[in-house]
Amino acid sequence: MANESRLASWRRVVQENAPYLAIVIFLIVFPHLVGWITGDSPFGVGGRPRGQSVFWQSVLIEVFILTILTMSYNLIFGFTGVISFGHALFFGLGGYILGGALELVGLSPEVGLLAGVAVGVIVCGVLGFAMGLVTLRLRGVYFAIFTLAIAEMFFIYFGRLPLTNAEDGFSLNALPDLINPTRNRLTYYYLTLFFVVLTFVFIRRLMHSPTGKVMLAIRENEGRAQTIGFNTLRYKLLAISLSAMMASGAGMLHVILNKKVGPEILGVTYTVDPLLMTIIGGVGTFSGPIVGAAGLHLSERVLNRQFVIGPLTIDVGQNWSLILGLIFVLVVLVFPKGIIGTWTQWRTRRRSSIG
Amino acid sequence: MDTSHVLEVQSIHTFIGQFHILEGVTVTVPRGSITVLLGRNGAGKTTTLRSIMGLTPPLQGSITLNGESLIGLAPYRIAQMGVGYVPEHRAIFKDLTVRENLIIAQRSARDLERRSDLIFELFPDLAKFYHLPGGNLSGGQQQMLAIARALVPDNQLLLVDEPSEGLAPVIIEQLITAIRRLSEQVTVLLVEQNFRVASLLADRYVIIDDGQSVASGLMAELVHDEALIQKYLGVA
Amino acid sequence: MPQTRSTLMIVMALTLALLLFSFFTSRGDLGSFGTTILSGLFLGMLYFLVAAGLSIIFGLMDILNFAQGAYFMTGAYITFALFHLPAFQGVDANLRFPSAVAAATAVGALLGLLLERGLLRPLYARPIFQLVLTFGVAIIFGEALKAIWGTAAFSWSPINSFGIHQSGFEIFGRQFGTYRLFVIAVGLVLIVLIGLLLQRTRTGIIIRAGVEDSEMVQALGINVRAVFTMVFTLGCAVAAFGGAIAAPFLGANLGMGNAFLLPAIAVVVLGGLGSYMGTAIGSLLVGLAVAVVAKFSTEFLNQTVWSSITPMLLLILILLLRPSGLFGKESR
Ligand SMILES: Nc1ncnc2c1ncn2[C@@H]1O[C@H](COP(=O)(O)OP(=O)(O)OP(=O)(O)O)[C@@H](O)[C@H]1O
Ligand SMILES: [Mg+2]
Repeated sequence: MANESRLASWRRVVQENAPYLAIVIFLIVFPHLVGWITGDSPFGVGGRPRGQSVFWQSVLIEVFILTILTMSYNLIFGFTGVISFGHALFFGLGGYILGGALELVGLSPEVGLLAGVAVGVIVCGVLGFAMGLVTLRLRGVYFAIFTLAIAEMFFIYFGRLPLTNAEDGFSLNALPDLINPTRNRLTYYYLTLFFVVLTFVFIRRLMHSPTGKVMLAIRENEGRAQTIGFNTLRYKLLAISLSAMMASGAGMLHVILNKKVGPEILGVTYTVDPLLMTIIGGVGTFSGPIVGAAGLHLSERVLNRQFVIGPLTIDVGQNWSLILGLIFVLVVLVFPKGIIGTWTQWRTRRRSSIG
Repeated sequence: MDTSHVLEVQSIHTFIGQFHILEGVTVTVPRGSITVLLGRNGAGKTTTLRSIMGLTPPLQGSITLNGESLIGLAPYRIAQMGVGYVPEHRAIFKDLTVRENLIIAQRSARDLERRSDLIFELFPDLAKFYHLPGGNLSGGQQQMLAIARALVPDNQLLLVDEPSEGLAPVIIEQLITAIRRLSEQVTVLLVEQNFRVASLLADRYVIIDDGQSVASGLMAELVHDEALIQKYLGVA
Repeated sequence: MPQTRSTLMIVMALTLALLLFSFFTSRGDLGSFGTTILSGLFLGMLYFLVAAGLSIIFGLMDILNFAQGAYFMTGAYITFALFHLPAFQGVDANLRFPSAVAAATAVGALLGLLLERGLLRPLYARPIFQLVLTFGVAIIFGEALKAIWGTAAFSWSPINSFGIHQSGFEIFGRQFGTYRLFVIAVGLVLIVLIGLLLQRTRTGIIIRAGVEDSEMVQALGINVRAVFTMVFTLGCAVAAFGGAIAAPFLGANLGMGNAFLLPAIAVVVLGGLGSYMGTAIGSLLVGLAVAVVAKFSTEFLNQTVWSSITPMLLLILILLLRPSGLFGKESR
């Protein structure tokens, strides 16, 4: 009896999430699929991380990391209505702290990894909390200013800090084997995929909980949420702390993948990318960040070459950020709901006109 | 075209955000009269004035000034057609001097010069504090300034929102005299919660309740209709 | 006005503290002290040129234009490029420079007009997107400059340059470029001119009234949107002009946008959002502070990093201590 109803509720969960489950299953078999089609083993060729399957694994790992970063951005911007212009701060700081724990402190790789992850996530969470505490009581624009200033300060500071080898950064050599992406690319692929799913499920459950409902109410009209009697500051602080922790995790996954820590991970790119990917994918939707991150990163990979149109030669790879910016402006003006939002709107409109 | 009415508002519907605030308000204002909008707090009186001004444009219904439609016009165009607006809470510019508050209302270079005699006669205090920031004036003086500002250009119609709100009785008497005087020159649509002030000033009334106009007529008759007053205004 | 008086006391105290600090850390070297103060004034004037538009636009339209620094940077690039363009080398340098500055200012105005009319105006109902859009436009400007001129920084050599750029003078035995003094003078003139415009003209009255309550201005029969466009265009033009006259000293590089946007924001917050007097005084204070700290950190700490993060530290400090600014009224 109890068993049956549990079975039924599982079935409901599966049915409701069928498209997501299908995507996850596809992503699980994907490396093997590519391996089977191209004949390059998903574990590498000749004992080295080479071949088509491994290449596509790394591309997707990058997509996964950007997806986590974008989902974390969407949590504050899309779901709570708070603008940050310094999200790279959490991404980069997470990377620096993990890198420091692995390379600069002199711990064993395993201990360094655990300590780095724990300290990095906590520091970023606390930092996000503190930044919110200072500025979120003021008008919204102050938080944007504050995040921009602090991110820029850290970017310049780490670019000059001798301890972390200033502009050149330092490389990660002392990685535990299990998560070493050169040795075990496929394991790392599944690890990052796991974190994407984890973040996704977490955000979805959060947003369907009473806490999430208040966050949405804040985005719609903070004054009203306050009048109803919610302490909106607390909810915004929660959103920012969580978002900062997720972003720091993404930064850690990023430095492990590249086995390198340098000031570029604090740079404006990692603020602009999640912002654009959120807006282009669909602000305040669950799948928007995934579509935005995957869509933009894959297009960059695919279009990264020169195009000759008549007398004009356009180097898309060189000018990718410029093109991205122009697309972004277009989306904000014409499809402010992004790909997912516009699609959902179109579908419901079609349904209601049929039914 | 009926030119005895300066303003005709025909069953307008206004939304603020997704809220349906006005659900059919009809107001006609005869030329040369003072018409007062009555109703409880939150009934929609201010929203009616703002709808006429184009600040919260109605989605349905019609508004005409001397027969010309105001629907779809930007607020500044509506003002230029001869509508003066004295908003609630004495919204003068506090950082600007009295003189600058008046200058900004000019529509041609000599407006203020032409009207200064009238303004200073009605509100002598304004002459005294001509070069002081508006924020330094008392509440009553600020209200005088807000009204004077609407008198600077040639207007067909003044929309005045709760001029007596929060003023001392002596100042209110002064205000009543002033509004009477200026109604000799221009038609007035007034919002007034103070029933005594309303009955002293107005020729006609329109009662608004819960976003709808529910009654209208001569003020002289309303004063004796205790049932109507009880029902919509809750004063005896 | 007791509030203004106590504010002025704070301002004087801060200025005095900065001067004294600089004086004592220069250990009796009056030349070094003098050049530091002049550098501070120079920086302050450039901050003012970015911050003036930022502040007025924010007060009037409720948009913090995160692209303001990008306009400054664009002004510098255009001036640099036009002055050094091989085709114009026949023109006398003393004429080439002002023409390049004028052209850069005009381009800044045009780009400002396009941004307000084309991109911001459709979004007045969605202010969050306006903010995000100005940030995006700043990125686009940077990327476009990179696509045209590459990533290398340009520096303007005084050799083969124009008149005052080549000359210098001496204060207590230290050299200081005449050109920077010229920029200080231009800045002062503009502070006064814009102040007069705001105080004395009808347009100025409208702008100040709009900062208080733009809806009421509209209800008085004034087309506020047209005023928005004009102010935004002028604000961007002034920022581009700032970059243009900064170019002979600073050259042109891709870091300039943020290097001037952030201190300008610090100025605007310190001065109080929307207050012109606050912006003018705040510019000089922030300029002085940056110059004094820069000199101190390079001489005593042997680290230039402190001087480059001073503007951010100042901004953070101001946000922590006095987010409503010196002359501001509200920050909520
Ligand atoms: N910005 C807004 N958002 C949502 N509701 C609003 C808004 N402005 C006004 N309302 C609502 O519209 C209704 C009418 O408001 P309005 O100000 O027109 O009333 P009023 O008759 O002038 O009241 P009062 O006598 O208190 O001035 C009120 O219920 C008010 O709550
Ligand atoms: Mg009202």
